[in-house]
Amino acid sequence: MALKGSPSRTLRFTHIYLENWRNFAQADVDLQRRAFIVGPNASGKSNFLDVLRFLHDIVSVGGGFQDAVRRRGGVSRLRCLAARRYPDITIRVQIGTEESTSIWHYEVRFSQDNVQRPLIKGERVQKRGATLLERPDEFDRKDPERLTQTYLEQVNVNREFREMATFIASVRYLHIVPQLVREPDRSVGRRNDPYGGDFLEQIARTSEKTQKARLRRIRDALRVAVPQLQELELWRDARGTPHLRGKYEHWRPQGAWQTEGQFSDGTLRLLGLLWVTLDGTGPLLLEEPELSLHPEVVRVLPQMFARVQRRTGRQVLLSTHSTDLLRDDGIGLDEVLLLQPEPEGTSVRTANEYSEIESLLKGGVSLAEAVIPRTRPERAQQLSLFGE
Amino acid sequence: MSILYAPVISGAVEGQVDEAVLKQLVTHVGAALGPIHGKNGKHALLQRLPGYNAAAQWSPWAVLVDLNQHAACAPPVRQTWLPHPTPGMCFRIVVREIEAWLLADSARLARFLRIPATRIPPNPEALPNPKQTMVNLARGSRRRDIREDMVPRPRSGREVGPAYTSRLIEFAESHWRPGVAARRADSLRRSLRRLRQLTTRVP
Repeated sequence: MALKGSPSRTLRFTHIYLENWRNFAQADVDLQRRAFIVGPNASGKSNFLDVLRFLHDIVSVGGGFQDAVRRRGGVSRLRCLAARRYPDITIRVQIGTEESTSIWHYEVRFSQDNVQRPLIKGERVQKRGATLLERPDEFDRKDPERLTQTYLEQVNVNREFREMATFIASVRYLHIVPQLVREPDRSVGRRNDPYGGDFLEQIARTSEKTQKARLRRIRDALRVAVPQLQELELWRDARGTPHLRGKYEHWRPQGAWQTEGQFSDGTLRLLGLLWVTLDGTGPLLLEEPELSLHPEVVRVLPQMFARVQRRTGRQVLLSTHSTDLLRDDGIGLDEVLLLQPEPEGTSVRTANEYSEIESLLKGGVSLAEAVIPRTRPERAQQLSLFGE
Repeated sequence: MSILYAPVISGAVEGQVDEAVLKQLVTHVGAALGPIHGKNGKHALLQRLPGYNAAAQWSPWAVLVDLNQHAACAPPVRQTWLPHPTPGMCFRIVVREIEAWLLADSARLARFLRIPATRIPPNPEALPNPKQTMVNLARGSRRRDIREDMVPRPRSGREVGPAYTSRLIEFAESHWRPGVAARRADSLRRSLRRLRQLTTRVP
């Protein structure tokens, strides 16, 4: 796994190939350490990120292939609408490092049987070109029931590719909903809730030393956006429920403590973003991290991720609609994934595949200006008539 | 009695690095920086110039624009871009890009980039493309983190690396000395002089 000081050896997803997955009849795209996924509403930005969440759900504790498909409403909901008849859904990922982009290959192909039970049609693992697993194998042929589970999720058979399974399990998804953080009762019992329902519990679970050090760093970073913030700490109420509280500079000499209930949406989101950035080293998936944040804060996010990655090598994949975020001069064209709905399903291309974008940039147009018009809904204007 | 409050100067710039530089200049002349506008590129800045100029009737303003490849020198361009500056307006043209001003404090920059000071060109205002020079200097850095932050990856299709901007801001805010840099960059020296006049002018 990622070691501090060896970012070039940290594993990341280097390539994704999809067939018939949700919006994508076919997608075939390289991934860099950072990926900025842009596209019109409902073009499949979340569904693209969901591929990696899906793989994560297969290997995660208490997860598994059946559960991962069921949670998404079954095979027929996952299958691309543009697909003809009932073809298999294929997910193929390449995993590697900065130095060697193709160490692991994992492929899973699946469909469903006539009682709508998800069924593996094929599964393959390769390490540096050598095949470690190729299914269906003779055991599967003898006992077709085996095809309801991947080998990836089974500890007793994935020993040879445990490193890859552990990497996939380390994928982290976050899309903090401030209301859920403030009212954790709504998501009682959920662990690692991507919407932040147990966010405070997650912070409380970290060792005190790490927790304090991280909160201190976060406080310093938050001060850029919230200059009045003096202290930030985890605090338990009389019932033992963890709360975050911040001390704000105030006209009273002692300042005033506020808990997460009083934090603004923006403060909570930024806090969540900073926490998750420090927590873990696996690929980080973020949905529209710009929500509720001041444009000036949004603008520095790409640089912040770049600097985190330089230290840890951690991959960050995020979807965005933000012009401010894409204005950054340091975003590589190969880091921008452009999703465009087409009659045969959404296409995914990196921005460097468009010669026009490169020309626009050479002429002094910012990346945001070059890219956002391509992600604009064709008839956005129509929406204004809704008020009539 | 002497002035109790530092005069507040509003500003407009092309980008984030320019903002950091302007902040240093304003502090250097003993003023305080008010709101900074623009940061949306040169074109947008020039378009809004009449508005900034009008606002400068009421309080002092400083606007920095890169000359880039527009002309051999600044004065004729000034005439075209802002023929009638109001008295509170300090409209300055950077020759040719903000990086030139940063390169002008060569001792500090060399230390920041971890390169020998002799590699930094002695006359940064004569450089056709100071940004390119900055990136190339960073490419020769002894530090991996500097190189990774500032130099673009081969297939990125961009001129600068992923954290180039934040590195330059860091340099401008904590290491760069405007007074020293002004000795090697005439457009900076004039800008400082003009800013100083602005702060001493009775409003």
